[in-house]
Amino acid sequence: MPQTPALQVHALSKTFTGQRALIEVDLELQPGELRALVGQNGCGKSTLIKVLAGYHDPDPAGEVLVDGQPLALGVAGAGDHAGLRFVHQDLGLVPTLDACDNLAMGHGYERNRARLISWRREHRMAQETLRDLGYDIDVRQPTGHLVISERTAIALARALSPRSTPPRVLVLDEPTANLPAAEISRLFEVVRAVRDRGVAVLFVSHHLDEVFTLCETVTVLRDGRHVVTRPVQGLDEDALIALMIGRTLEQFEVPTGSVAERHGEPVLQARDLHSAVLHGVDLDVRPGEVIGVAGITGSGREELALALFGGIGRTGTVTVSGKPVDPHRPDKAVEAGMALVPAERHANAAFLDSTLRENVSIVSPGDFLRRGLLNRSREVSEVTSWLTKLNVRPPHPERQLATLSGGNQQKVILARWMRQHPAVLVLDEPTQGVDVGAKADIHTLVEQAAAAGAAVIVVSTDHSELTRLAERVLVLREGRIADVLRRPHIDPDRITAATIGAKQGAAA
Amino acid sequence: MKRTGRSNTTDEQDPTPGRRGGTGPHPLGGAVVVPSQDGEPVAGPASAANPVVESDLPAHAGSPETEPRRRLSFGLERFSGLYVWGALILLFALWVPDTFLTTSNAKIIAGDQAITAMLALGIIIPLAAGVFDLSFAGVLGVSVALTAYMQVEGQSPVVAAIIAILGAAVIGAVNGFVVVHLRVNSFIATLGMSSLLAAAAYWITDGKQITEGFSSTFLDLGTKQLLGIPLPFYVMLVVAAIIYVVIEYLPVGRYLYAAGGNPQAARLAGVRVDRIVFGSLVASSFVAGVTGVVLAARLGTASQDIGPSYLLPAFSAVFLGSTQIKAGRVNVLGTLIAIYLLATGVKGLQLAGAPVYVNDLFNGAALIIAVALAARSARRV
Repeated sequence: MPQTPALQVHALSKTFTGQRALIEVDLELQPGELRALVGQNGCGKSTLIKVLAGYHDPDPAGEVLVDGQPLALGVAGAGDHAGLRFVHQDLGLVPTLDACDNLAMGHGYERNRARLISWRREHRMAQETLRDLGYDIDVRQPTGHLVISERTAIALARALSPRSTPPRVLVLDEPTANLPAAEISRLFEVVRAVRDRGVAVLFVSHHLDEVFTLCETVTVLRDGRHVVTRPVQGLDEDALIALMIGRTLEQFEVPTGSVAERHGEPVLQARDLHSAVLHGVDLDVRPGEVIGVAGITGSGREELALALFGGIGRTGTVTVSGKPVDPHRPDKAVEAGMALVPAERHANAAFLDSTLRENVSIVSPGDFLRRGLLNRSREVSEVTSWLTKLNVRPPHPERQLATLSGGNQQKVILARWMRQHPAVLVLDEPTQGVDVGAKADIHTLVEQAAAAGAAVIVVSTDHSELTRLAERVLVLREGRIADVLRRPHIDPDRITAATIGAKQGAAA
Repeated sequence: MKRTGRSNTTDEQDPTPGRRGGTGPHPLGGAVVVPSQDGEPVAGPASAANPVVESDLPAHAGSPETEPRRRLSFGLERFSGLYVWGALILLFALWVPDTFLTTSNAKIIAGDQAITAMLALGIIIPLAAGVFDLSFAGVLGVSVALTAYMQVEGQSPVVAAIIAILGAAVIGAVNGFVVVHLRVNSFIATLGMSSLLAAAAYWITDGKQITEGFSSTFLDLGTKQLLGIPLPFYVMLVVAAIIYVVIEYLPVGRYLYAAGGNPQAARLAGVRVDRIVFGSLVASSFVAGVTGVVLAARLGTASQDIGPSYLLPAFSAVFLGSTQIKAGRVNVLGTLIAIYLLATGVKGLQLAGAPVYVNDLFNGAALIIAVALAARSARRV
C-alpha cells in the first residue's frame, strides 16, 4: 500500500494584479524525502512558499494536502497546525529576546501549578531541544548577540518543536545564504537527521552544489510553472542550469582586449575592498562607462554600493578622480563627486514626510542661498525643472514624497543626485518596486548620465536590466568578483548562470 | 506595523516591512520619535543579507494623482490653533469682559510667557533633529544659580551672564558627546543630565535662596518695560527670530529636519548627522542658558529648584505647536501660537474665577486633545 504523501500540491496558481506568479503547480513530497526546489529569480519559488505559509491567498481551484488532510489556504498558522513548518530566510527571530523566548513563540510557555512560568524548566527544555539538534547555545543570550549559525539552529528548533502536531514537512528557504562552509555541513547533518525521522524536507537554494550534496530529488520551477521533478542523480550543474533557464548555454570565447582607450582614465578606483561580506574587490570605472554588478544573496552584491560610498564599515581604498573617500563618511564621497541611489528606498533614501523640494535639495541646499539666506523661489524653480526633466508625476515641489507612487519616489531620489552632476553614479537596485513605465524612464536617465560623462555602476538582481544597461557585468560570488561578462556576451541567462557558479567568462 | 494595502509584489519580493525608524506616520512627525539607538546599520551586513524589496506602494495610501488635502481645507488644520485662540479670546471677552479684554491683561500674558517661550524655542532644535533634550530645565536652573552666585561673589553682571551661558553650552556639549559618541539614547542621556544638574544647582546655591547681591542694572533687564511689556518679552522675540531664520532659511535647518526625519537617508545624502545632533544639543542648552540669565534678572532671586517647573509647559507648547503651521513638524511659529493660546486660556479661566490648578489642567488637556486630533488627521491622509 502506498504511503500517504507528506505534502501534495495540486494545480496551485497565484495571480498578482494581472501577473501570474504561479501557474498550476503540482508538487508531491513523500515522508522522509529530501527535495530541492530551484529556479532563477522570479520563477515563483518565493510565492509558492508564501502560499504554503498562508501568507498569500492563492487563486481558487488550487489545493494543498498535508499528510492527506486538506489545508486551509490563505490562513496564517493553518500549515503550522497541520505540521507544515518553515525556516524562512530571515529566520524570523526577535533579536532582543533569548533563545528560550524565541522558541516559546512557537508553542507558548509551560506553567506550573501557580500559573507562573517556571524559568528554570523553560531554560532547561530550550537547552535540551537545541542539544538534540547538536547545538550547545546559551539560551539566556538575546539571539541578536548570537552568531548566524546559532540563530539558524534556533529557528530550526522552533520549526521542529512538536506543538499540537509533530512536524510533517519542513521548508528551508535559503538557509545557508549567510553560513560559513563548516556550518553548512553541520546544518546538513541536522537536516538529514530530521529526514530520518520521516519528515519531508523542501530545501530552497540558489546554491546548486548544495542541492547536489544534500538532496535526492529536485523540482525546477520556471516562469511560475513546474518544469520537472526528478532524481538528482544523473544531473550535473550545467544540466540543472539548463533546466532552470530553459535552454543550454553555449560556452563562449573569452573576450580579450581592453575598453580603456574609449573611456580614458578610470574616475572611480577601488582596491582590495573588504567588508562583512566582501573579500577583496577591485574595481575601475571610466567616465561614460556603465558597469553592472550581479550576484546572489550573500555574494556581496548587497554591500558593494554602500561600501564604495562609505555608507558601511569597510577596509581598502576608494578614490574618485584620485581623491580618497573614507569609510563611514558619505559626505566625503559626495564632496568627491560620488552619488548613491541606495537600495531599500524607504529606509535609506526617502524623507517621506518631507516635500519633493526638500527631498531633492537636501544634498546641497546651499546652492539656493541668496545674500546668505535660502531663496525659496529659486529653489522651487530649479527643483521643478528637475522634476519635469525626470518626468516625475506630478512635478509639484510642495507635495509630500509619501503621496507619490514608488516609481515617482525613485525618480525624485534620482533628481536629488542628477542635480549634483556626479562624476560617479552608483545605483543599487534602481528599479526595485517600480512600475514598468518608470523603469524605462530610469533606464533612459542612466544612459543619459553616462552619455554626459558620469561613470555609472548599476547593482541589480534584475538581470535584464543589467543586460540593457551595462557594458561590463561583474559577477560576485562569495565576496569576490568571480566573473566578468562583456558585451556582446551579456544576456540575462548568462548572468544568472554566472551568479550561481557556471564557469564561463574570464575571472577579473 | 500594519501594511496599508496589498502589495503587488511578484516572486522573490518580500513585501515592505513597513516604514522604519523615525519616518513613520507619527502624529508628531519624525521629529519627536525617540530615535533608535543611533547608527543602526539599516543596510549593514544583517539586513543586507536579506534585501527587502519595496513594493510599489506609497505608505500613505493616498492616491498619487489627488492634490494634497491641505490645499482644499482653507488652512483649517494648519491654522486651527489661530482659530481656537480667536475663539478663546472671544469667549473670555464675553465671559469676563471687564478684566480679560484689557490691554494690561494682554501685556501681562505677553510678558509672563517669555521664559517658557524661550525654552520651548530652544528645544525645537534637537526635536527637529530627532533627539530629546530633557535637561534644558536643569540647565535653566544652573544658569540662574550661576548668574546669581557670580554676582554675589563680586563679578560684574556681564561676566556672570557670560559664564552662565558658556557653562550651559558646555553642558550641551556633554549631552552631545554622550548621545553621539557614547551612543546613549538622548532621552536617557538628558534625563540623567537633568539629575546631575539638579545636584549642581543645589551645590552652587548651597541649597539656600540667593536674594542679595544682584546689581540694579541687571535687575532692570528683567523688570523694565517697553511699551508696557517687560523686556524679557523682547529678548524672546529676538531668540525666536534667530531660531526661525536658522531653521527656515539656512541649510542647517534642512539638515536638522532631514536628520530627524530619516537619519540613515540623511547620512547617505551626505548630511553629517552626528554633527547635527551634537550641535542641536549644544544649541538648546545655549538657549536655556540665555533664558536662565533673563529669568535671574526677572526674579531677582535664585534657588536650586527653579528649573523643573518649566519642563512640561515647554514640551507641551512644542508638541502642540507641531500640529500647527507645518503640521507634523516642530516649528517656531506653531510653538509661539501654542504658547499664547495656552496662556490665554489659562488666564481667562483664572479671571473667570477658576482655581489655581486650572493651569496644569488646561495645559495637559489641550496637549492631549490637540495631538490626538493631529494623529487622527494623519491617519486620514
